[in-house]
Amino acid sequence: MSDSDMNLKQPILEVKDLKQHFPIESGLLLKKQVGAVRAVDGISFDLLPGETLGIVGESGCGKSTTVRAISQLYTPTSGSVILNGLDLINASKKETLEARKDMQMIFQDPYASLDPRMTVRTIIAEPLEIYKRRGMLDTQMSRNDIENRVEELMERVGLNRAFKNRYPHEFSGGQRQRIGIARALALNPKIILADEPVSALDVSIQSQILNLLHELQQELGLTYIFIAHDLAVIEYISTRVAVMYLGKIMELSRAADPYKNPLHPYTKALLSAAPIPDPVIERKRQRIILTGDVPSPNVERHGCYFYDRCPSRMAKCKENIPQMKRVDEHHEVACFLYE
Amino acid sequence: MLNKKTEKKPQATNQFNQAVAGNSLTRDAWRRLKKNKMAVISIFIVVIYILLAIAAPILPIYPYDEIVLDHQNLPPSFTQNAGTLLLEKRLADLYTQAWRSGSLEVSEAEEEMLWTWIDANETNKVWDYMLEKGEQMSADGSFTFSATDQRRIERLEEKLMSELKVSIKSLWYTDPISNEREKLSSLTTEQLIDLYLDLSGTDIDTLKDQYTREIEQQLLRGIKDQNPELPDAEYQQMLEREIERLSESRFDSLIKSNILTKITNQIVNDANSHLGQMATDESVLFPVKEEISLNDTISAEVEASRINERIYYLGTDYQGRDMLSRIIYGGQVSIAIGFVGTITSVLIGIILGALAGYLGGKVDYIIMRIVDIMYGLPYMLLVIIAMAIFGRNILNLFFALAIISWLTVSRMVRGQIMSLKNQEFIEAARSMGASTWRIIFKHLVPNSLSVIIVFSTLRIPAFIMTESFLSFLGLGVSAPFASWGSLVGDGVGSMALYPWKLFFPALAMTIFLFAMNFLGDGLRDAFDPQSKNQL
Amino acid sequence: MKKNTNKGSAPLLDVRNLQTYFKTDEGIVKAVDGISFTLGEGETLGIVGESGSGKSVTNLSIMRLIQSPPGKIVGGQILFEGKDILTLSEKELRHVRGNEISMIFQDPMTSLNPFLRISTQMIETILLHQKMTKKEALKKSIDMLKLVGIPAAEERVHNYPHQFSGGMRQRVMIGMALSCEAKVLIADEPTTALDVTIQAQILELINELAKKLNTAVILITHDLGVVAGMCDTVCVMYAGKIVEKAKTEDLYASPSHPYTFGLIQSVPRLDKAQDGKLYSIEGQPPNVIDLPECCPFHPRCNKKMDICTYKYPPVKKVGENHEVACWLYADEKEKSST
Repeated sequence: MSDSDMNLKQPILEVKDLKQHFPIESGLLLKKQVGAVRAVDGISFDLLPGETLGIVGESGCGKSTTVRAISQLYTPTSGSVILNGLDLINASKKETLEARKDMQMIFQDPYASLDPRMTVRTIIAEPLEIYKRRGMLDTQMSRNDIENRVEELMERVGLNRAFKNRYPHEFSGGQRQRIGIARALALNPKIILADEPVSALDVSIQSQILNLLHELQQELGLTYIFIAHDLAVIEYISTRVAVMYLGKIMELSRAADPYKNPLHPYTKALLSAAPIPDPVIERKRQRIILTGDVPSPNVERHGCYFYDRCPSRMAKCKENIPQMKRVDEHHEVACFLYE
Repeated sequence: MLNKKTEKKPQATNQFNQAVAGNSLTRDAWRRLKKNKMAVISIFIVVIYILLAIAAPILPIYPYDEIVLDHQNLPPSFTQNAGTLLLEKRLADLYTQAWRSGSLEVSEAEEEMLWTWIDANETNKVWDYMLEKGEQMSADGSFTFSATDQRRIERLEEKLMSELKVSIKSLWYTDPISNEREKLSSLTTEQLIDLYLDLSGTDIDTLKDQYTREIEQQLLRGIKDQNPELPDAEYQQMLEREIERLSESRFDSLIKSNILTKITNQIVNDANSHLGQMATDESVLFPVKEEISLNDTISAEVEASRINERIYYLGTDYQGRDMLSRIIYGGQVSIAIGFVGTITSVLIGIILGALAGYLGGKVDYIIMRIVDIMYGLPYMLLVIIAMAIFGRNILNLFFALAIISWLTVSRMVRGQIMSLKNQEFIEAARSMGASTWRIIFKHLVPNSLSVIIVFSTLRIPAFIMTESFLSFLGLGVSAPFASWGSLVGDGVGSMALYPWKLFFPALAMTIFLFAMNFLGDGLRDAFDPQSKNQL
Repeated sequence: MKKNTNKGSAPLLDVRNLQTYFKTDEGIVKAVDGISFTLGEGETLGIVGESGSGKSVTNLSIMRLIQSPPGKIVGGQILFEGKDILTLSEKELRHVRGNEISMIFQDPMTSLNPFLRISTQMIETILLHQKMTKKEALKKSIDMLKLVGIPAAEERVHNYPHQFSGGMRQRVMIGMALSCEAKVLIADEPTTALDVTIQAQILELINELAKKLNTAVILITHDLGVVAGMCDTVCVMYAGKIVEKAKTEDLYASPSHPYTFGLIQSVPRLDKAQDGKLYSIEGQPPNVIDLPECCPFHPRCNKKMDICTYKYPPVKKVGENHEVACWLYADEKEKSST
């Protein structure tokens, strides 16, 4: 993990000033844009091969939108997503399709992310079928090849091959998430975008899936962007962590840093709010309880995005947006406390 | 890893080593459907209806479009044949006349009763009563018919016995030299003309005159049917234009069929006179099959049956057509309209609804505004206009119904798709690079299929109802074709006198509609159980 | 209200051998199969378990809110202040529900009527259980909203549910649940739908109010961290049965059942950085339809013995107030009695 040559590696994915706004329309006959939901409001980061970037934040902070914008499920408003040197936002449809083979997604809800009318076999084989039909597979695969690949993938993620022709509703949550993982692996991608893959799972299953993802990364040299709202999960799986709030990255650091040395007031609050499964520690902890809720992302902001709820806000936070600032080699934060 | 070939098919078990049986959503739904008794009965009924409709041509029923004018409005009966019924009808009539003319005397109380019936327009009862009374009086000798009436009855009896229905099964031509037989219809027109000249003894010019006149008449009739109410001069012009336009081969085939009809007529005449004798003698048992030769070269296989021996289980209509076969053939049309109409409208609706729902934005806006506008139009009027423009036939009826009824389907499908399209499995498919087409037809439509199936099942009765309504108004299926609606429409006019003409088609239709509705309800419950086994 | 029913050391709520079964097409689901626990006044009890372990059904059974059919409480007793809830008439039951025991749900939106103002709903609830005028009830509602920390309660009370955010809605629900001074508050995953920062607020609020009003709380959750901070006693449920029951400190310090041990171990922890593999319980939670007579956990257990595969273990005391159902703690006599 702490490879010394990490700095020398070229980033596999670069995200620069990515913005994803959803227009709010109104009007009876002719729709007019009256505003925008600023789901992602200008974020930048690099992703090095083999690392795991954890994105953590509360619901509505734009972490899911970020991965969806990266995987081109939405058309980003501005900014660039550069995958292996190709800017996906301005690339042609064919180039995007070709490039996106390297980037697959795992979804949050194991119940909703699998088509209930398809058998496990069809689900896992779907990416292969799609690219086969488009003639974009690296090597041509016959029906038999696909069949074998499906079985191989099922075994790899810990599913019994006997269940190949079963439907998703016959599986438990954890097994379904394994099916989702197998599907994501079908095209041998380099990057996996995992959108809260364990938050809908039971505790005992959660650790199984985390272990599986960890093993797969070791074995196949995958790069992850891993989203969660559970800080402990993020700390476990990630090499770097981005803390997001209202569509902005507040703090970006190595995985252990936010826990040992949190800088941003929001990170501190998040940390102290997360319960720890130990009654002795839990009862002694002093909590920073944030007041109020996450504000609406519909308005354009001219001050710090966290201003309304920040326990240590200052006058200048209201009028100026703090920029990301490097405090040490691996640690960046967007807060005026560290100017 | 084990070698795949030698490995046994792995057994699916859970952690307690209990075998886990596979289960798909469809199988689940089927299992629930089987538990629903009404739905199962409905499936049987619907299947029987469909089988009857399909098998109609090979069923032992009388032709649905054969007009037997003598057999008008016969009541349904399982035991008495048409002849008996006709005789009874005549007797009742005669007895009544006799009572009216005073030769048949009844008591004062009866007199009063009969008159109240007549005042209330219940002539059926009068006839029934007079028949019973008259028969009784004839039996004990207190009444005898006048000599004229007696003769009338005898003549009728004779006629009923001798009247034959002759149908030609096949026409043959035997080559006098080689003695080979071939079908008459496969001969050329010239050969046919020669044969006919031989047969009838007329000369070629007379024949030519004759068939030219007849063909002109035939064409004129066709023109008049299509363009009613024009001055004669205009018809004449149109006819000339029509003849000019006729191609050589078409004209040839017209001549050929004309000659064939002539020959057929002659054979039927021959057969009638030949077999009529046998019928009165009662020397043969009808129906009979016989080969009749006009001369050495032309022969025909003929089937003859006593037309008055027919038994009409469900009675006859105002033109003496068998109600049973009309109901079955009517069902054919009604069910076909129901199914084909539903399928067409569902297909249009799925495609447009899915596109609108999935693509959203401008496409959605345009499609949905079209739907809104079409909803705003009075759809019955649309259908009526369409039928008026394109003419009354079954195909146009399908078309007219289909273009107005995809609206609801498309709205429903659009709603389904919109609720499905934000599901994660659609996002998953998109993130894999699936095309719009694939997402719609591999993911979205199969997942809304259960709703579509239920809707379609419930839609079929609605279609049949609409068709019936149009036919009832006289805008739907036209004679000699029948549909349940047109049968009911025909029956309504005389429902006091001949209730069976209304009752049976209405019953057939009601049972089918009930069954379809129960089936639809059953399917809905099966596909969407409220308490799906969850905690 | 009642003075002589609740005397001495008798617990407020005493659940004895409760069994709730559901009849489904596939077979009988023993959602809750013979569980017993007690709840003292002002005590906080946590029920932990995975989805399908029967923790929610337990609490719906206590409120007698099980849909029948398909569900049915087939056995056991639920003694509230000495009276068996299962034998109460519908009228008495209504008095108990809301007045004595109230409940808050995971998704507050499902239990609030979206078409009625908060004030209308709260006043209705209060008047149903207490004798007072409408004005007094409104005043009480405002007080409750203030208590649960809703700013500008006088105005917000007239809002509709959708005008509140998720956390605020949950606060309103708690306010409503406590407005009748219920003795027991059942909170069914009250924070699962909420964010961590909001979760912290809500848990703090429940804790505070329970102390202030001396309300006993049953907290249902799958989050071991939440339990650790909130509860005095914890019951761990698995496949419809309580496998371990202990004081919170004891449970975390010395988990006795292999399932509890695995559960605690398999959660990644913020305070201890872990590298490499997480501890994990292999396999899937069982489907509770037609469970064979055995310890339901044995296929996933790393300390499985032969006897586990054909007999359910007896409940053994392994410490003060610490009970566990596992063959590891049974003596030889019990094992050989089969």
